[in-house]
This record gives sequence, C-alpha cells and structure tokens, in this order.
Amino acid sequence: MEYTPSGKLKMSTYIMILVGIVALALGFVNDHTEHHNAFWANLLLNGFFFMTISLAATFFIAVQYAAEAAWAVVFKRIFEALMAFLPYGGIIVTIVLAMNSAGVAHMYHWMDPEVMDPNSEHYDALIAMKKPYLNQVFFWIRTVIYLAGWIYFARYFRKKSLEEDQIGGESFFWQNRTMSAIFLVFFGFSEMFAVWDWVMSIDVHWHSNLYHWYLFATMWLAFIALSLLITYYLKGKGHLKEVNDSHLHDLGKWLFAVGLLWAYFFYAQFLLIWYADMPEETVYFKLRIKEYGGLFFGTALFNFFVPFWVLMSRDAKRNPVFVVPVAILLFISHFLTYWLVFLPSATGGHDHLSFTDIGVFIGFLGAFLLVTFNALAKAPLVVKNHPYLEESKHLHI
Amino acid sequence: MSDKILYAVFGDDEVALNAAKKVTSEGVHVSDVFSPFPIHGIDPVIGLKRTRIAIAAFIYGTLGTILALSGMYYFMIYDWPQDFGGKPNFTFVDNVTSFVPITFEFSVLLAAHGMAVTFLFRNWTLPFMKAHNPIPESTDDKFVLEFRASENEKSLEEIKAMVEAGGVERIIEKEA
Amino acid sequence: MHQEASIREPLILGEKTYKDITDDVIRPIEGKASKLWYIFFTVAVITALYGIGQILYLLGTGVGVWGLNKTINWAWDITNFVWWVGIGHAGTLISAVLLLFRQKWRMAINRSAEAMTIFAVFMAGIFPMIHMGRIWMAYWVLPLPNQFGPLWVNFNSPLLWDVFAISTYLSVSLVFWYIGLIPDFATIRDRLKKPLPKHIYSVLSFGWSGSAKQWQRFEEVSLVLAGLATPLVFSVHSIVSMDFATSVVPGWHSTVFPPYFVAGAVFSGFAMVQNLVIVMRKVMHLENYITIKHVEYMNIVVIVVGGIVTVAYLAEFIMAWYSGNPYEDFIYLSWDAARGPYGWAFWSLIIFNNLIPQLYWIKKIRRNLYWTFLISIGINIGMWFERFDIIVLCLNRDYLPSSWTMFYPTATDIGIYVGTLGIFSTFFLLFTRYFPVLAFNEVKTILKSSGEQYKKQHQDNH
Repeated sequence: MEYTPSGKLKMSTYIMILVGIVALALGFVNDHTEHHNAFWANLLLNGFFFMTISLAATFFIAVQYAAEAAWAVVFKRIFEALMAFLPYGGIIVTIVLAMNSAGVAHMYHWMDPEVMDPNSEHYDALIAMKKPYLNQVFFWIRTVIYLAGWIYFARYFRKKSLEEDQIGGESFFWQNRTMSAIFLVFFGFSEMFAVWDWVMSIDVHWHSNLYHWYLFATMWLAFIALSLLITYYLKGKGHLKEVNDSHLHDLGKWLFAVGLLWAYFFYAQFLLIWYADMPEETVYFKLRIKEYGGLFFGTALFNFFVPFWVLMSRDAKRNPVFVVPVAILLFISHFLTYWLVFLPSATGGHDHLSFTDIGVFIGFLGAFLLVTFNALAKAPLVVKNHPYLEESKHLHI
Repeated sequence: MSDKILYAVFGDDEVALNAAKKVTSEGVHVSDVFSPFPIHGIDPVIGLKRTRIAIAAFIYGTLGTILALSGMYYFMIYDWPQDFGGKPNFTFVDNVTSFVPITFEFSVLLAAHGMAVTFLFRNWTLPFMKAHNPIPESTDDKFVLEFRASENEKSLEEIKAMVEAGGVERIIEKEA
Repeated sequence: MHQEASIREPLILGEKTYKDITDDVIRPIEGKASKLWYIFFTVAVITALYGIGQILYLLGTGVGVWGLNKTINWAWDITNFVWWVGIGHAGTLISAVLLLFRQKWRMAINRSAEAMTIFAVFMAGIFPMIHMGRIWMAYWVLPLPNQFGPLWVNFNSPLLWDVFAISTYLSVSLVFWYIGLIPDFATIRDRLKKPLPKHIYSVLSFGWSGSAKQWQRFEEVSLVLAGLATPLVFSVHSIVSMDFATSVVPGWHSTVFPPYFVAGAVFSGFAMVQNLVIVMRKVMHLENYITIKHVEYMNIVVIVVGGIVTVAYLAEFIMAWYSGNPYEDFIYLSWDAARGPYGWAFWSLIIFNNLIPQLYWIKKIRRNLYWTFLISIGINIGMWFERFDIIVLCLNRDYLPSSWTMFYPTATDIGIYVGTLGIFSTFFLLFTRYFPVLAFNEVKTILKSSGEQYKKQHQDNH
C-alpha cells in the first residue's frame, strides 16, 4: 500500500519553512548579541535538535533489532522515515561549526587562538591545557567521524529494509541485526563525544559527566513523540490498518517511560551539582536560574509532572484525547529545554526567548516534516517479509 | 441454603475458554473458573469486571507522598531547622531538592505494601486460610468451570450436555 | 492467540505438558536432597558461622579491628555493601523491568534471581549496621521522637536516603517475590501426601485457590508492582551512588554516578545470576527450562550494561583530565592511579570489567556454559574492584601528600566478607531445597507459544 502525502500537508510544510526563513532573517537583523551569537546558536540548536531526532530514530531501530523486538515492526517505516532528516540536520550543524571555525561566529571560546597563547592577555590556562582535545584539527576529524558514521548506518538500515521488501528471506534481518549491534557501540561513544564537542564546549570551563545522557533523553523523547503523532495522523487518514490499540498503547508507554527517564537524568545532574555547591559547576545553573528561572523550572516540572500524572493510567495511554496533546506539549517543552542548553551559554544570558526563536523552530519543523513525509511516500507503509511481521500484527496486550 | 454445583474439568486452557465462550453465548452463567495459571481472555467471557486494585495502589502512593513531604517539613523546617553544609533549611523550597529521594521511596513503600495487603484481603488469601478449589489438580494441569444451579435459568442437566459437547474431561456434581 | 515468530528459538525444550512442568520443578522438593547438596550446605554453613563469629568479635571489640585508617576511613565495609547491593539488582530487574518489556525468557529465571536479590540485599544491609559499631543503637537512623529533645535525623543526608531506599527495596522485593510464590505453593500443597509438609505448604500458600478473580487481581498486582519496582531499582543504586557523588571528594563527585552505578549493578547482578543458575540447572535437571538461549540472553544483557559502564569509565577518565583540576589527576580512573601503588587494582578493574566481557561478542563463547561461568566470576571480581577503586583509590591520595597512605585489610575484614558469602550461600541452598526454583505456573503460560514441540507443529502447519 503506497502512501502519498496530501497536498494540504505539503502546503503547510512549505508555509512553515517560509515562516522559518523570514524568522531567521528577522532574527539576524534584530540580533543585538555579540557576533550575532544568538542567531548562530539558534541555527545550531535547531539543526542539532532535529538532527538528533533522526539520530534517535536510528538508535531506536537498532535497539529493536538488537533486542529481537517485534511489537513495532508493523509501523517500522515511520521510524525509518524519521531517520531521513539526518544528513540535512548534519549540513546545518556543519555550517554553524564551520562559521565558528572561520571566525565568523564566536560561540566556542576555545576556538580563539589568543586564549591558547601564553603571551596574550586573553590567555586562559584552563582552556589552554585542554588543547590536546580541543583543537580545530582534532575537532573536525571527530565531527566528520560522527556524522559520516551516523549517516552510513542510517542508510544501511533503510537500504536493507527496502531490499527485504523486494527479495525476502531472513538474511536481511540478520544483517541488520549485526549492524545494529555495531551501531549501538559506535553510538554509545560517538553521542557522548559529539555532545561534549558541539554543546558542552560552548561552556568551555564547565563540565558534567552526565550531560551527554541528559541530552540523549530529550532526543529519544522527541523522537517517540513524533512517531506517536505521525502514527495517529496516518491512522486518522485511514492508513496503517494493521496498527491496533496495543501498538498505540506501547507507544504511549514509551512516551511515559522516556519522559520519566529524562526527569531522572535532569534530577540526578541538578541534585549533585546543587548539593556539592562547587562554584565551577553551579555557574551553569546559576545563569539559567537567574536569567531564565521561570522557563528553567517551568519546563523541568512540566516535563516530569505532565507525563507522570496524565499518562500513568492504562486507559490514558491508549486514548488519543490524552496522548496526542501530551506528545505535542512534551515535544515543545523539550525543545525549550534544549533552547536553555544552547542559547544562554552562547550569549552569556543576553538573549531571551522571542518570536524569532519560535519562527525558526516552526521553519525547521516544517522542513523536518517535509523530508519525513517524502521518505514515507517512497516505500510501502507496512514492511513485507520481515520475520517478525506476523508476530507484530498479532500484538495483543 | 442448599445449592447444586456442577464442575466441568478440562485438560486444556483453550478448550476450557472455548467451552466457556460457547455456554455463555447461550445464556449460561459461569460462576467461577479455577486454573493453575490465568487463562487470558476469560475475564470478559464470564463477566468479570476489571479490578480496581491499581487505583488503590495509586491512592496509597499519593498518601505516601503527602506523609513524606509533610513529615520532612515538620522535622526539618518547622520543628528543628539546622544549617547543614552551608545549606540552611529555613524554608521548604530551599530544601525540597534533597527531599525528593525519600519522598519517592516512601511513596513506593506505601503503594507496594498497601496494594499487597489489599490484594491479600480482597482475595481472602491469608495464612491459615482454607483453599476452596474443587479438585487438587486445578492448581496443576486442570481447568475447571463452575456452574451453580441457583445462578442459572437452565438446569444443570442442560449445561452438562453443553459442556460435554465442548470437550470436557470429567464432570463433578456437588451439593453445597 | 498469541503468535510467535518462527525464527525465535524455543524457550521450553522437549515435548512437555503442563503436568510435566509441574513435575520437573517440584520433584527436587518432594525427594531427598542429594549428597552434593549436603556437601555444599555444610561448607556454606561453616563459612557462615565463621563470618558470624567475626562479626561478633567486631561488635565486641570495635570497628578498630578493621584495617581503616585516618586517610582511608571507608574501605572494605562500604565496598562490600555496594557490591552486595549491586548484585541485588538483577532479580528485580529480571522480574520487573523484563516483565514490562514482555520478555518471556524471564519466567524461567525470575524466581531464583529474586531470591538471590533478597539474600544479597540482606547481606548488604549487614555492613552499614555493623559499621555503626554500636549496633544496638541502629534504630537511631529512624526519625523517632527521643529523649534528647526534638532532634531528628538529617533528611538532607544521602546516608539517610540509603536507609529508606534499602529498606524499601528489600521489603518490596520480598513482597513481589512472595506474591509470585503463592500460586506455586498452592500447587505443591495440592500434590503432597505427607501431612506435615502438606500443612506447612498449605499455610505458606495462604489458601490460594486459583479462581478467576484471584488470578485477575494477581496479574494486576504483578504489573503494578513491576511498575513500582522499576523506578525503585533505578533509585536504589542511584541513592547508593549519591553517598559518594554528593560529596566534594575528587573522583566521587561526578554527575554520571547515578545511572552508571545502576548499570554496574545490573552488570554484576546478572553475572551472579549466571553463576547460580548454571549450577542450579545442572544439579536440578532443569536444562529444558533454563536453556542455552536463556544463558545467551543474559549474556547479551551483560554486554549491553557492560558497554554502558565502559562508556561511563571513559567519560570519567577523560573528564578528570579535562577539568584541569590537579586533584582529579589522582582519581580511581586516571593515569596516576594506573601507575601508582594501586595500579594492580586499577588494571584488575579494566581487565575484568572491560576487556574480558568483550569475549561475549563471540557467539560460541556466550553460548558456552563453562566460559560463561568463568567470565561471570571475572565480572564479579571486576565489579568488586570497581567499588574498591572508587572508595580506596580516591581516598588514598589525600589532598596533602604527607597523608598519602595504603589500606591493608585485616583478618576481620576478610573474614566478614567471606562470611557473608557463606550466609548468602546458605540461604540460597535452603531456597533451592524447599522452594519452587522456577515460577512454573508462569512458565506454563508460554508453553504453547514458545515450547519446542508447539513451535514445530506451528511451522508444519504453514
């Protein structure tokens, strides 16, 4: 059964992209922060946020293979389509990083050669000692490895899945399974280093060992929320007849579980830094609480309490009246937590949430949905010949 | 009150389930089922409502949350505020971060134990209770449907004929 | 009817009926114990008694009989505590988390793993209690009104969080385990003929009848308890890690500690389950239920959590250097630790925890019982060293080089540790003798979807 996105849907995504372009332009003009850092940080934030949703999709597909899980096989194509934005997001991230390297943008303080020079008045011993790790050459080697690796694996999983449709047999399943195990190892390390390099090194004096897992929970949750919303959307349009209440219930459970996982990471990091009260660490939260207190605590509490209270009961997890609004709201509030990760650090607290931020977000969302739905249209909505397909169709809980 | 009971003993869960489906579709009421493990899908067939024990657990858990938070407020903020490691605990908000672990643990403690106790009392399974499964094999490999004359319009003879067509292994009749 | 993909390996081998499953599991309880069991039991009891003797000596004399000193004021006691709590994480993980993930293979091992959990947490509880020195004042950790005026325990202290976490974990695990046992006790009760054992199992089974409503509640309670126990598993070892991580000691204060301790706990817990289950399936002839595939599944979990631990080690190692803090250069994962006087402990950790488990990537090895048994012992050694390294290596390089010192365990340190192994084994052996070691009534529910002969029939029909 082929799927073509409706003209209305495509039109909406184009309008969203247009809004994004206008917002970006306005944002650049109205950006009064030093070196247009707010503009660049916004671009990096959106590129990173949407790229890592695709990365989380790749991760989740690999987990399904590695764990021999059958439940999601019927709507696996949605996960595959969500991987499609990975290269586009990668390009955006690369552009911002290149602008920083070239000295156009100044988000990364350590890229300034003066701080590494002992004779300069801007010399910073604590940054200079990090030079073996934080130097442009090594940084770019790593960046290329992460992006190339992720894109390679994502394309591999997709390719084998499409070939399985055409040819059949168990061999594609086993190939994907082996590659999933390798990918998970690669992901475990690359995700950590990528977050250190691209995100944590914006606050070059600050470090937290949990940071990469804290950001990872948001990637995962945003991915789950989107796949849940797309599944409900397609079902509403009369597609995906094989997807039953049990599948939707399982997606609801994931939304609940990953939402609480995020809360666990957030709390573990916040508690330990708050408790030990060491100035070199608390500086991170101090800036966010002082300048963005309402947003900071608001999103954190929202991210925990909303899924916890609304989705706890079994009936709510199966009921679109509860699940769909929660998924949308969590998607937005997790984006805002990411905003709090990038913007305050890059601008030193001199930029506040404005309509341009929202516009850019809408633009990126439009582009992401366009790419995703185009990818969905390229293959049948339900896989064929997957060894777990029958088991997945008969899912009943 | 004297009542007549008919026990239909089956050797397989699916056969028992199908028999139950068949007799209930003809208006027979299955009073109870005894099995060594839960037969999936039989609850709606014999007209069992969903259990509300999870709601009980939720209430116990909420009670735990309230008790833990108010207890810690009393101990640490109201009754004897102190300064620990440069963190004076004169207000609740300043200290609530470190109250989270115990609040969580205490909520789980009450929810789990409250639910377990409710479960045991509602089931009437407590130490020194007598079991009331009709045949001992029903905790091993037999599946028993129970029919009571008082709860059925059809006579036990009719029901007996119906379950015999449904692949019953053995039928036991009893006065109660 | 639930359908299972044909490429999945069967979880119950041979041609089994429901009755066979009951028979196979209960037979060891009905019969006489083997000679081997008596030999194991004697050794375990003697070791346990030796350990209890050492504990009494410690209580009578004082904590000074341990090898602690002014610089290293926490060592084996807390190492053993964390090690045992960690081992106690596999059981609830298997029964709760894997229940939520609908992993059918959990049913063959959850009972014994949970028993192990409870005994291990009990062993863990011994250490902080005897560390108090005056154990008869242990009730002071509770917020009780007392004669000193309204002076309460410190709810801001992670040590008090531990009190709540460990006791909640122990009691909830116990309840979870016992509720699962009730229907199985009922089966034993209905089979036994001798009056006294029948009466005992009758009392233990609480008069369970297996009626539809009872089963409905039973399933709901299992599910909700699993839902409660899952965050509980995460919280307990997170809180244990906070004993260290809330401090400002270099090497201890690390935000990654909570999730990383949880992963490490599951790592060692599964290794211990492997050790016990591999022996148990052989001695009690349960090879058809605890198959090679079960062992392989557990080994895959070991690879995953071992991988998480490895990523965390790398983060610790690099971040210690990246911080630019000279004191961080001496933490348990640093070059100075590798080259220093505790280099052997550092390398034991790396070799046993990170290198040897990688052998499981080879399918032949992770499906081989001998290799699995040996590697699992290795992981338990490695995880013991992890806790030893975190505690002793971070303390032995004090801020002042004049305070740098070494820790030497005394006979009491070693005796108590070995003793807890004996007490633990005693409990576990008694469990295997008198309790149904498999949740056999639960196993029956997967016979038709995952049993070997049913899977074959299903394939032939297609």
